[in-house]
Amino acid sequence: MPKSEPDRRKRTAPDPWDIGFGAVLLAGSLLALFVWFPADIRGGFFHVNAIGRSEPGDAFFPVILASTLALLSAVQLALAVLRPRPPAADAASGRLTARNLRFLVIFIAITATGLAVMYWLGPLVVWLMRAWGLSDAEYRHLSDTAPYKYIGYVVGGFLMTLGLIVWSEGRIRRGAIVTVVVVLAMAITIFDLLLTNVLLPPNAEF
Amino acid sequence: MELVLEYVIRGITEVFFTPEGVFDWLPIIMVFAGLMLGIAVGATPGLNGPFAMALSLPVLIWVFGVNNEALLPILGFLIGLMKGATLGGAVPAILFNTPGTPDAYLTTLDGYPMNLKGEGPKALKIAHLSSVCGDTFSDMVLFLTAPVLAVLIESILDLPEKAALIILSLSFMAAVAGNAPLKGMMVGVLGMLLALIGSTLSGYGPRMTLGILELGNGLPLSSAILGVLIIGEVFIAIEDSARERLQRRNAVRSPVRGDNRLRWPDIRRILPQIGTSALIGTMVGALPGIGTTLAATLGYDVAKRLSKHPEKYGTGIPEGVAATEAANSAVSGANLIPVMSLGIPGNFAAVFIILAVESVGDFTLGPHVFRFTEIKVIEGYGTIINEDLVIAFAMFTLMVLANIFNWTVGGLFLRSLGVLARVPKSIMMPVVLLITLTAVYAQDGGFIAIWVVMFFGLVGYVLRRLDVSILPFVIGFLLSPRLEELIRGGYSASGGDALFLLKSPLALAFLGAAILILFFAGRRPQRRAG
Repeated sequence: MPKSEPDRRKRTAPDPWDIGFGAVLLAGSLLALFVWFPADIRGGFFHVNAIGRSEPGDAFFPVILASTLALLSAVQLALAVLRPRPPAADAASGRLTARNLRFLVIFIAITATGLAVMYWLGPLVVWLMRAWGLSDAEYRHLSDTAPYKYIGYVVGGFLMTLGLIVWSEGRIRRGAIVTVVVVLAMAITIFDLLLTNVLLPPNAEF
Repeated sequence: MELVLEYVIRGITEVFFTPEGVFDWLPIIMVFAGLMLGIAVGATPGLNGPFAMALSLPVLIWVFGVNNEALLPILGFLIGLMKGATLGGAVPAILFNTPGTPDAYLTTLDGYPMNLKGEGPKALKIAHLSSVCGDTFSDMVLFLTAPVLAVLIESILDLPEKAALIILSLSFMAAVAGNAPLKGMMVGVLGMLLALIGSTLSGYGPRMTLGILELGNGLPLSSAILGVLIIGEVFIAIEDSARERLQRRNAVRSPVRGDNRLRWPDIRRILPQIGTSALIGTMVGALPGIGTTLAATLGYDVAKRLSKHPEKYGTGIPEGVAATEAANSAVSGANLIPVMSLGIPGNFAAVFIILAVESVGDFTLGPHVFRFTEIKVIEGYGTIINEDLVIAFAMFTLMVLANIFNWTVGGLFLRSLGVLARVPKSIMMPVVLLITLTAVYAQDGGFIAIWVVMFFGLVGYVLRRLDVSILPFVIGFLLSPRLEELIRGGYSASGGDALFLLKSPLALAFLGAAILILFFAGRRPQRRAG
């Protein structure tokens, strides 16, 4: 069946995701060249070494790379506008959909909550114990002492892992709970008991 | 020839004996343990070799340290893992119609119908035989070609040519590894740029840190690579399993029990497919960036075209399983050809071999390794010898050892792992996330590693969803420091000639080829990556 005119136009219309990809990286590389590098690279494009010879400085390679990226991005942008490719068979392919973004938000929320609990729970428990007069030590003194060193890791790790499992399965299963507990026990055995000079999260921070 | 033999013998001795001359079990045990774990990992849907290599490396470094003696046990384990995981992927594909990796999809085409006919164990035996044949053949090609290629490269390439060769490799990977070559090249350059954060070569202090003090020592390399490769994939897998929970594909368990013995006539029947696919897999593997999926597809397709009964493919015939498994396993050895001869990793498993080598001991990979320096013992000084070459031959010995274990006990172990293939991705992926975060925290000693791994995970997720291959990004990230040294060195050596890369005809040819590859790859019709 012959394609209608709007159909044909749609098939060769510039893909906003192709244009966006080029535009974002072009803007990023120009920002790097004119704002980031001048502010954040102390050595220049060239520098004079100890024997008075001029040689490439710390900015030399980053500037070459960022310029190359800018050039490639400009080509990508131009091709996306001037020579659009027919879309892939799968409509969801090659783009971030609203469903992907919703997934990212939930994923990041669950992970960030788990990590926040992991980071703060141990110090919070010790702070409460101090407030109630049960202990006079600070968390940094107890960060290598059981059970304090495990509190944040176990509770935060449990919440994060089980949260993700429950979300992706749509239900809570006893098997999942047991698996997470066993994995946490194994991780503690390997990273805390068997390996020396290694700290579980978040104990190296305190 | 005598000198070559001397180095080979020293390489073998390095694996089996301590410097004091006592027999050393450790490398042998590590190869065995790596292989078994690799087979188990491959048999678990959602896990794969690079995954396990990434998680094992920090643990191995803690256990064995970073001195020269630690290198062979660590490499032995990683090589075993790499080989085992390729083999293990056949288990879920054949028994549960669940391809853990894209290349295993081809194994399901005939493997699962064989299982339905009650010939699941036989299909696993065929997969094992074909896989070890392909792998062994590929290793032989590696042993023979890598030294020759390296000597050739070392004799004709100087700094500008080596720099141009890295650019050509990146362009080739961008062209073949994904759907959009130009975007692939762009993310390759982006990876190179990000790899420079926190580094300095002229002593003015760390650059590009955005004022974050913790980045002053540079981005934690393994956290960044783990983020893109592993966490990006975890993001995708969790999203997919959340989406698929209502539309699960149920594998059928066959009540039929067929003839599951593998006899000589059966083996003779599949030998042509094994031979052809081993050759195809090796050729594909030797080119950086082309993965096991293309090898398996080509192997299966060629076997079907050469068959007198192509219509039987897909109905559960041994030839189909053999063609796929021999092809995808033959990639693993040949993929080390660019690593050993050029120092350029061609796939993700090779990335972790390079990371291990760079983190442990003084050994470095690249064409310089294969310098056959005359061995001389000087009184009161010691022995003049190319230690790197000895380690290279020790690495080859470890690969042979892994193949021997694979031939002898790999098949038995493989057939006992059906239970692992039932572990759901929805549980496995969050567990992998927890272990990865714990491992990077412990390795890099701070939450900065967790932020880095999550940030790069997000980058990996976005690139995958945008259908842009992540391989050029990872390879660019890994090779950036070397390319910077080559470009700076080449520029200085040319006396400050800004066009030094274009003055060498060979470098010019490499750069021209890089542009042409991108140009022609960009003109091909759009397809789905994978």
